[in-house]
Amino acid sequence: MVKNNRILRIQKLLKQNELYLFLVIIVYSVFITSLNSSFLSLENLFDLGKSSAGMGIMAIGVFTVLLSGGIDISFTAIAISGQYIAANVLIASGVDNIFFAFFISCLVGVALGAINGLLISQFKISTLITTLGTASVFHGALLTIVGTKAINSAQLPDCFKAFGAKDVLILTKSNGVNYGLSIFIIIFIVLALLTWLILKYTMLGRGIYAIGGDINAAERSGFNVAKIQFFIYCYVGFLAGIAGVLHISLIRYSNPTYIVGTELSVIAAVVLGGTRITGGSGTIIGTIMGVAMVTILNNSLILVGLSSYWHNFFVGLIIILSVSITSYQSKRSIGNIVFRR
Amino acid sequence: MGRNYLLGKYSKHSKTLTLFIIMISVFIVISIFLPGKFLTIRNFQSMFSQIPEFGLLAIAVMLAMLTGGIDLSIVATANLAGIVAALILTKFTFPQIGGYEELLTIILAIISALTVSLICGFLNGILVAYIGVPAILATLGTMGLFSGIAIIITKGYGIIGFPEKFLFIGSGTILLIPVPMIIFILCALVAVLILNKTIFGFSVYMLGSNPISARFSGISNENLLIKTYMMSGFFAGLASIIMISRVNSIREGYGSVYLLQAILVCVLGGVDPSGGSGSISGLIMGIITLQVLQSGFNILSFSPFFKKVIWGLILILVMVINFYSAKLSQKSIKRLKTN
Repeated sequence: MVKNNRILRIQKLLKQNELYLFLVIIVYSVFITSLNSSFLSLENLFDLGKSSAGMGIMAIGVFTVLLSGGIDISFTAIAISGQYIAANVLIASGVDNIFFAFFISCLVGVALGAINGLLISQFKISTLITTLGTASVFHGALLTIVGTKAINSAQLPDCFKAFGAKDVLILTKSNGVNYGLSIFIIIFIVLALLTWLILKYTMLGRGIYAIGGDINAAERSGFNVAKIQFFIYCYVGFLAGIAGVLHISLIRYSNPTYIVGTELSVIAAVVLGGTRITGGSGTIIGTIMGVAMVTILNNSLILVGLSSYWHNFFVGLIIILSVSITSYQSKRSIGNIVFRR
Repeated sequence: MGRNYLLGKYSKHSKTLTLFIIMISVFIVISIFLPGKFLTIRNFQSMFSQIPEFGLLAIAVMLAMLTGGIDLSIVATANLAGIVAALILTKFTFPQIGGYEELLTIILAIISALTVSLICGFLNGILVAYIGVPAILATLGTMGLFSGIAIIITKGYGIIGFPEKFLFIGSGTILLIPVPMIIFILCALVAVLILNKTIFGFSVYMLGSNPISARFSGISNENLLIKTYMMSGFFAGLASIIMISRVNSIREGYGSVYLLQAILVCVLGGVDPSGGSGSISGLIMGIITLQVLQSGFNILSFSPFFKKVIWGLILILVMVINFYSAKLSQKSIKRLKTN
């Protein structure tokens, strides 16, 4: 009996995407380390974590949307809107406080996300077309109304720079140089935990899974679909707002045309993590590993000897391969009677 | 039964009628507000030269939408095809070779561009039909892949300077009509014939409205999807040839605005994004409406960012209107049925 149980557990584990992804990450990391021994150092890992935290936070948002069977491609436009508006407000008002920056950025994010949520939940417009339209509106409006001028490092309020340099844990290398664990990583972990808690332990979270599984069934079983959808898109906006502030603090510069155009990498990371776009299936751990994989791949292209021109190609390839694997598996398991588009 | 049939017919015509009214009113409003600027021969010529490019891309998106999918990779496909054609045109043509060889090179370039676009479409089709990837993600992935290949080939640089004769496709005129317009009209006619007069066309509509019943009525859904996505790619390839010969250059990322506009035109032209309904005539009215607006904005010299806002707003507005009109027609059908 006990033995049976154990076998079942192992079988279940073998079916999970996360395990394979984890193995791929390990093998690839070892390979990269053999090319450049500094790759697997703690310092480099901290650095990678810091620079990919913003992307990771956006990925959590995309993960939530995909889980509900939708898609959002406006989150980058929301992130840059939040960032650029927050930076401008801080400069104009003279308030030099990072919490105020987060407040403004998230406010903008939630407001723009609410527009998406309203359109999708009230008018039942396809999520792709809604967010394609709103992405264009948000970004166009930002550039038209707020402006197109970049904010350079000298104009940037000090709180962003201080926040970007903030470490929660400082370690010293053998040669006496300090390096640290950035607060960005802590924020990312907290948000990932929060999302996990919402998804696992609240009715809202179960509703998100339910909508993704079958929207009609969810409605009939008493979930308020419109309300849940509205929440999802607001939440994505909120996360995008946070990612926007992290991004500006990281690069100490704000250009209103940045971030937009990186949607594909983020979506790639999420689908690589095993989340199905048809909804209802996926884990936050998978998403985190997807982000890790894409980050490692991006950062190692040059090490492997490929120029950065290969970036788009690999992102596309990752999406196609990972989606193909999950789609093919589910197609086989459901059987050929139910035709999937 | 008969009544329902008539009602269906009526609602189909009323949709076309609404589109027609919108098109005419946009035309009239723009003409009145921009006197002496909009209604000029030069303006019409420039409108006619822009319509074919995104018109062909819109047909490509429409084909995918009719099956209930979408093709986000059209612009990337067009870019890749255009770059391959441009490479052939610039690498193989030398000033000293004669007219005959030059013509051969041009034909070779066109054939290769179309082949590349067909391959791109085939890949999309395989992913959607056989592997069962949702069309949004499949074409989003191939969009990245194709544009990635284009970047790798060109290293991000532009390719400029094609033979004089090739430029005729994009900027020449036959009997005062721009050549791209002629190509577009021919393509639209072919698309109408395929969609309305062939079994293939009928099957596409059937697959879009209900894939399971299509399968049970003996249609090979997989085959049909692959063919549809290949056609989609083919139209994108044609658009790329017109595009590169009109501007005499190509660069990765060229014409990326067309993606939003192509989807916008489809939705505006009454194509249902969930599949099964939409007509070329509606699409063309959508194209004309958009082009009239576009040229009005150009005359008013709106910034590209502001235009972005407007295109997005129109897309959403049309979808909201569709939502309400669908609700209304459902109500009227219910009322008729109870009577």
